[in-house]
Amino acid sequence: MAEHLTNFPYLTCMVLSPVIGIAIILFLKEEQKFLIRAVALVAAAVSLGFSIYTFAAYDRALGGLQFVEKYEWVKGFGISYFVGVDGLNAPLLLLTGIVIFTGVLTMWELELRVKEYFAFMLFLVTGVFGVFMSMDMFFFFLFYEIAVVPMYVLILIWGSTRKEYAAMKLTLYLMAGSGLIIPGLLLLYATSGLQTFDLIALHGVRFAPWVQKLAFVLLLFGFGVLAAMWPFHTWSPVGHVAAPTAVSMLHAGVLMKLGSYGILRIPMYLCPEGFQYWSSLFGLLAICGIVYGVFVGLAQTDLKYVIGYSSVSHMGIVALGLATGTVDGLNGSVFQMFAHGIMTALFFSAVGYIYDRTHTRDIHELGGFCKIMPVASAFFITAALCGAGVPGFASFWAELLVFISAVRVFGIGGLIALASIVVGALFALRVVQNSFYNEPNPKFVHFEDVSPFLGLPRMILIATLILFGIFPSLMLDLIKTAVVPFISGL
Amino acid sequence: MKAVALFAPELYFLLMALVLFFCSLRRQAEPQKDFRLFLAMTGAGILVGALSLFQQGEIFYASYRVDLFSQTFKVILAGGLFLVALICHRLPGVEDRFHAEFYLFLTTCTLGMMMLVSAVELITIYISLELASYSLYILIPMRRGDGIDVEAGIKYLFIGAVSSCFMLFGLSYLFGATHSTYLVDIMPKMPALLASPVGLLGLILSLSGFFFKLSLFPIHFWAPDVYQGGANQLVAYIATASKAAAVAILLRFAALGGSYGYSFAQILVFLSIVSMTLGNLVAIIQKDFKRMLAYSSIAHAGYILMGILTLSESGYTSVIYYAAAYLIMNFTCFMVLSEIAEDGRDLKIAEFAGLYQRSPLLALALMLGLFSLAGVPPSIGFTGKLLIFTSAMNQGYFWLVLIGAVNGTISLYYYLRVVYAAYFLEPGDLPRVVPSAGIRWATYVLIGIIIGFGVFPMQVVDLARHAVKFVLYS
Repeated sequence: MAEHLTNFPYLTCMVLSPVIGIAIILFLKEEQKFLIRAVALVAAAVSLGFSIYTFAAYDRALGGLQFVEKYEWVKGFGISYFVGVDGLNAPLLLLTGIVIFTGVLTMWELELRVKEYFAFMLFLVTGVFGVFMSMDMFFFFLFYEIAVVPMYVLILIWGSTRKEYAAMKLTLYLMAGSGLIIPGLLLLYATSGLQTFDLIALHGVRFAPWVQKLAFVLLLFGFGVLAAMWPFHTWSPVGHVAAPTAVSMLHAGVLMKLGSYGILRIPMYLCPEGFQYWSSLFGLLAICGIVYGVFVGLAQTDLKYVIGYSSVSHMGIVALGLATGTVDGLNGSVFQMFAHGIMTALFFSAVGYIYDRTHTRDIHELGGFCKIMPVASAFFITAALCGAGVPGFASFWAELLVFISAVRVFGIGGLIALASIVVGALFALRVVQNSFYNEPNPKFVHFEDVSPFLGLPRMILIATLILFGIFPSLMLDLIKTAVVPFISGL
Repeated sequence: MKAVALFAPELYFLLMALVLFFCSLRRQAEPQKDFRLFLAMTGAGILVGALSLFQQGEIFYASYRVDLFSQTFKVILAGGLFLVALICHRLPGVEDRFHAEFYLFLTTCTLGMMMLVSAVELITIYISLELASYSLYILIPMRRGDGIDVEAGIKYLFIGAVSSCFMLFGLSYLFGATHSTYLVDIMPKMPALLASPVGLLGLILSLSGFFFKLSLFPIHFWAPDVYQGGANQLVAYIATASKAAAVAILLRFAALGGSYGYSFAQILVFLSIVSMTLGNLVAIIQKDFKRMLAYSSIAHAGYILMGILTLSESGYTSVIYYAAAYLIMNFTCFMVLSEIAEDGRDLKIAEFAGLYQRSPLLALALMLGLFSLAGVPPSIGFTGKLLIFTSAMNQGYFWLVLIGAVNGTISLYYYLRVVYAAYFLEPGDLPRVVPSAGIRWATYVLIGIIIGFGVFPMQVVDLARHAVKFVLYS
């Protein structure tokens, strides 16, 4: 892949902005709540600014890896600090920027241990940015762990509903995933004979078939845990439910994409033969996830569980797209990572607002919210429609592309997955009808609707969904610059 | 004159021991005075160690070698002693009139270990090791207490003596087969010798003395009792400096295994796997914090052995890095422990409850220390562990790495339980903890080291790499 060095360290600035934010926040006092939030917001805004810039300024005609920065880190072990942007991670960096910015705004009303909350959240997002931009396996894994571990503390302190259980389960699941990832990565490192963690350099190596098969399956399941791949998804709905609003947003919106992005970036990129060997299993698990998520979601009565299982199903679509190994499938898959990230963030953000007021998320207890909080309801319903794949939203294009190629590659399996989408629509509409269109619950009538300031983050998310829904080529053309060479390497 | 310069750190610590000996002769105990003197002298000890870092040469009829490898470890040891001195400002676990003796034997123990890392002749190695061990035999029962200290002391003495026996037995085999006690002479004969049972058995048995110090399976079972029974400050020393010295001499000795020792490496692989798995599994059910750390140290001995058994330059480099990292992160945990246990008692994990409210700084330090032990980034523990795994994988130990990585997950569970108590449980009527200015600054520095060298490891790795050259190719 062609590497184009940058004259200004955009990416380093993007990843360091939250770190500087943390450093400033640690020196503030717990009482200076407004200042703490403001610092967090500025740090997030700077990162967002850089991510928008790299997204917009990426030269699509030139392609390849741009904004590259490369420094040797630990010489003897072949570790280098190597970051860059291509068509695969540019959308995801943008996604992270948007979600953290809106996430900080969403948690503006937080009062409990504000200082630590924003410090941990910025720490987490540092890890996420780092994973998406790293082209060196060592740093990739370092940032990956940085992104995963703060979840434990975030859920434990600020969470709800069985949070201790959820926090420990989530952490152990994800760490078990890491336990598979390390041997996988190191196997590739050791057998390459190059003594380097540089992904681009390793891409040039033709690994022996057994190495490819073994490394691929280790990394597939290792990253698959975080991508909530069936049957390793069980931590995810529980974790989503327990986490505080902005953490759910970050977690479902961005963190789970680390898993699917990891599968795309490392095992699929380095082990094409391994991919050929395991792709049918990969596809089968993805289809199971799609169907399973939809049906289990249908039986849930807690709004956050509903979203949690719909996430399992949507992440299945991402995985299915990857498993097809076609240009359209990968295009759709990366687009779906982006669209689903924005959509779930919107979902959790809307539910968070309602839950903070009513302290219930039970579908039957809510009801008629359209009459009580028309704006807040509109946010949720928009997200639900988007989740059901209604045209005009970003995820419509993504799902369309994935299913076209899935039916072509997997035949009947693809059709089954496609059919379950109809059930998915049913389930989204059932929730909407029960909680937003029945008779209003008199207990909740006195609540006020979303103020314009608190509505702002949700509006940003909706605007993003619609923008890319109407102009999908903004995104698809960019992704294509990376996917086409990627597929020809498979 | 050259010889004096080469022997400077040891001479300094010998002198220091003499001064402390005279302190111990006072009629009226003056613990604060002794403490300040001890702290100042250990601080100067680091300086002496650092000044002689680039000394090189051989003394005492070539039985004693001074090179970058040994000098690096001497600095690490002097640093470890200084850190332990820092947390001795309250020493409630030991009676006031014994404080000077306590410092004295810590010093002689450090002296023994410093000689150990330089010794390249079997008898010298044995004498140095015993100097360090005898000091500890005296130190452990010094705790003011209800007999638990005596039990710990006796256990340590017996198991130490038995492992010394095994070691001497093994050394006699090596001597018998090679007709020399110099490692330089033994080394070229080892490849041929290792093919025979005598060589293999001799080498493994010789290592058992160091396995004892490192609390590696199967000579690990003193660790939980000694950790629980010893004074907190002393255990901090055993868990940090003493481990570093064991690692150093293991590196020197295991290099004898050379490139031909297939069965030798297989035995070490087995010990490494059992040690880390056993340590981590048993640590899960512990309620006492020090016992938990004892089992975690058994697990860490397994990780360290994983790096040693690669017998490669990168493996040795990562082990040196990890030994230094382990000293720092383990010490951080012990510092928090000894600050909270004002009266020198043992702490249950439940007693960390609400530490976040009782002392935010110590809670942060504890969390970082534990996360670092668990191998969570960005910390020296993560970088060290990954470097060890990398070099083990480079030598083709795929299964070992896989088991090591899975063990990392298991260990996270019990470390998280402490973090959970510190950050989530309500403090109830547990008192606030206010660390003194010295401890506060030490905490800042330790936090800085844990994160700083975790993200920017290159200088330490470079130093370790240069140091390793003296062990592997000599």
